[in-house]
Amino acid sequence: MAGAPTSFLSLKGPPVEGGVSELGVSRLSSVLAYREVGVLAAILGFLAAFAAVNPSMLSAEAITRVLNLASDRGIVAVGVAFLMIGGEFDLSVGSVYGLSALTFIELVNHGVDPLLAVALVLAIAAAIGVGNAALTLYGGIPSFIATLGTMWIIRAFIYVYTGGLSRFAEADLGAASLFYRELAGGLATSALIFAAVAAVFHFILTSTPFGNHLQAVGGAPGVARALGISITRVKTLAFIASSVLAAVGGLVYAARFKSVEAVTGVELPLEVIAASVIGGCSLQGGVGTILGAALGALLVSEISVGLVLAGVPGYWYIGFIGALLVVAGVINQRLGWRGE
Amino acid sequence: MDSRVLTLAAVVVALLIGLGVGYAVWGGKGAASTETATATTTAAGQEASGAGQPEAKEYKYTVYFISHGGPGDPWWGPVIKGAELAGDLLGVKVIYQGPEKFSVQWLVNALESAAAANPDGIIITITNYQALDEPLRRVIEEKGIPVIAVNVPDPRPEGERIPYMSYVGQDEYQAGYQLAKYVIKWFQENLGRPPKAAVIGIHEPGHVGLETRAKGIQDAFREAGLTPPEKIDITTDTAQAYSRFESYLQAHPDVEVIFTLGPLGAHPAMDLIRDKGLQGKVYVATVDLDDKILKGIEDGVVIAAVSQQPFAQGFLPVVFMYLYLEYGIMPPSHVPTGPTIIDKSLLDLVKKQIETTGGA
Repeated sequence: MAGAPTSFLSLKGPPVEGGVSELGVSRLSSVLAYREVGVLAAILGFLAAFAAVNPSMLSAEAITRVLNLASDRGIVAVGVAFLMIGGEFDLSVGSVYGLSALTFIELVNHGVDPLLAVALVLAIAAAIGVGNAALTLYGGIPSFIATLGTMWIIRAFIYVYTGGLSRFAEADLGAASLFYRELAGGLATSALIFAAVAAVFHFILTSTPFGNHLQAVGGAPGVARALGISITRVKTLAFIASSVLAAVGGLVYAARFKSVEAVTGVELPLEVIAASVIGGCSLQGGVGTILGAALGALLVSEISVGLVLAGVPGYWYIGFIGALLVVAGVINQRLGWRGE
Repeated sequence: MDSRVLTLAAVVVALLIGLGVGYAVWGGKGAASTETATATTTAAGQEASGAGQPEAKEYKYTVYFISHGGPGDPWWGPVIKGAELAGDLLGVKVIYQGPEKFSVQWLVNALESAAAANPDGIIITITNYQALDEPLRRVIEEKGIPVIAVNVPDPRPEGERIPYMSYVGQDEYQAGYQLAKYVIKWFQENLGRPPKAAVIGIHEPGHVGLETRAKGIQDAFREAGLTPPEKIDITTDTAQAYSRFESYLQAHPDVEVIFTLGPLGAHPAMDLIRDKGLQGKVYVATVDLDDKILKGIEDGVVIAAVSQQPFAQGFLPVVFMYLYLEYGIMPPSHVPTGPTIIDKSLLDLVKKQIETTGGA
């Protein structure tokens, strides 16, 4: 993405293995950690505010609702944040989410084994990720435009295929119903999947060479290239991750509602980008954490549940998210590269 | 270090904005806890009844009213007004939740969030019984919260369907059936014969509610020994609908009645009749009412319209919930709010309804 700010990657030493993290990430990490503390503070602040209005907010039931609600959105947000850190957008996640739920339900309804259907859905999503990467990296189209295009193309396919109507799962989902099943206490399996996905991607970003490469590619592509990192390979993998996680979100949706609408996932891209930005991702790339994005998704869900408990009409929801987004944007701007 | 200070300041600002907005909303619209009820009733009272209630009221019950439509859709305006007025009169705190745009995901999430508040009752539209089945059964059977369905029922037979106490709303089949029966009777009374031919314009083919209305119309024709009218897809684009009706009338000059299943079909059909000077030869019969359709009834272009009386769909479920909670009275399993056939004879009454409730 634009304007490679070179402060943290300015090469003072020879480009050795692990050089990236030594040069910049350690200094950054204190600031990044602080972003997460900020989101956490907001989560606790809102929890206190909602609990003051309606003490049920602190009940186990309300908390599990927040976690369950955060899960499918959060899984998608993790992928989107991962790609944003690599300097690219994926607006097609909402369509991939809807397409995956639809494909899964249709395959199972036509007698395909649910687990095989899951594999096919994930494979299709990976292929879409490769397509998005090809358009962006070989086609030279900015990912914002490329994925806006694929978002609409896939959505049009869904509209045409369903005729604008809902599809229902008629067959048993078998083992695939584990994508959403409420366990004792009401916590859904999808919340556990969310936690696992966030942990794995957090580990990849912070503790593997690939994670370092991704941050370098997103924040300072020129320098990354000089270091011998294959930008194409790194970004393609990130596009695939984003698309596949969107499909996992769609599978959670299908397992939960056992139906899919033609408009399922339409609002999702901006919601998950908002969650990522609230969690500290920069639209310029190179900056952000998976933990932050996951907490961002949690905060968004907390507000959604909290407003209902507080008896506030649902229309206020996007107003709250908008206010949060603006504040998060200010924080990102202040902590971002500009001022340094 | 200065960036830390900035972050802190920004987080504080975020919380302040959040709390400020929260307070503004909660102060204006009320919250579920009783401490805040006193502060909010004045505002709520003024909004709901316009009469202004000087005395602060304690709400005895809290009921969530969750629908798939909201203020964005004008049809729901009277529903919300009705629910709030009933709540205000009976001391029931009605919390209305509706999405910006139709979404099953939103509906289920709103239901589950509302259930976490352990309200005294929940009133909800069953727009997707598959998705709502499990969560509603949990609410009814495990949490013991009474539920009343409104506007859209679970279409499955009793025993299979979600065990809600009652359904308040229109029977879509009856809406179409009664409308067509009325039209056939009207032709008999005024022309001494049934209509030669008719057509049904459906603006969203596959939409269960609309298809059910259309089936009711066709069955009424069948019962009367007439050929059931054909369904044509007129889309939700009124310009398209106009030209499709036009072509159909050219190809089928016998058609004397255009049935439409909502204002989206009725408006272009009425325009066509006026533009082509077909008044007195072709008539419109439709489901749902608005100002333009009322005028059509007045000048005879529209024979009749079916009203499902949305205000009653807001008001009545709250009343039945109150009767159940306060006195242990079980509501009847189906409380119809329609179909009410609106023709010239009922115009004044309907005008009153639209004036006082905002819709019919």
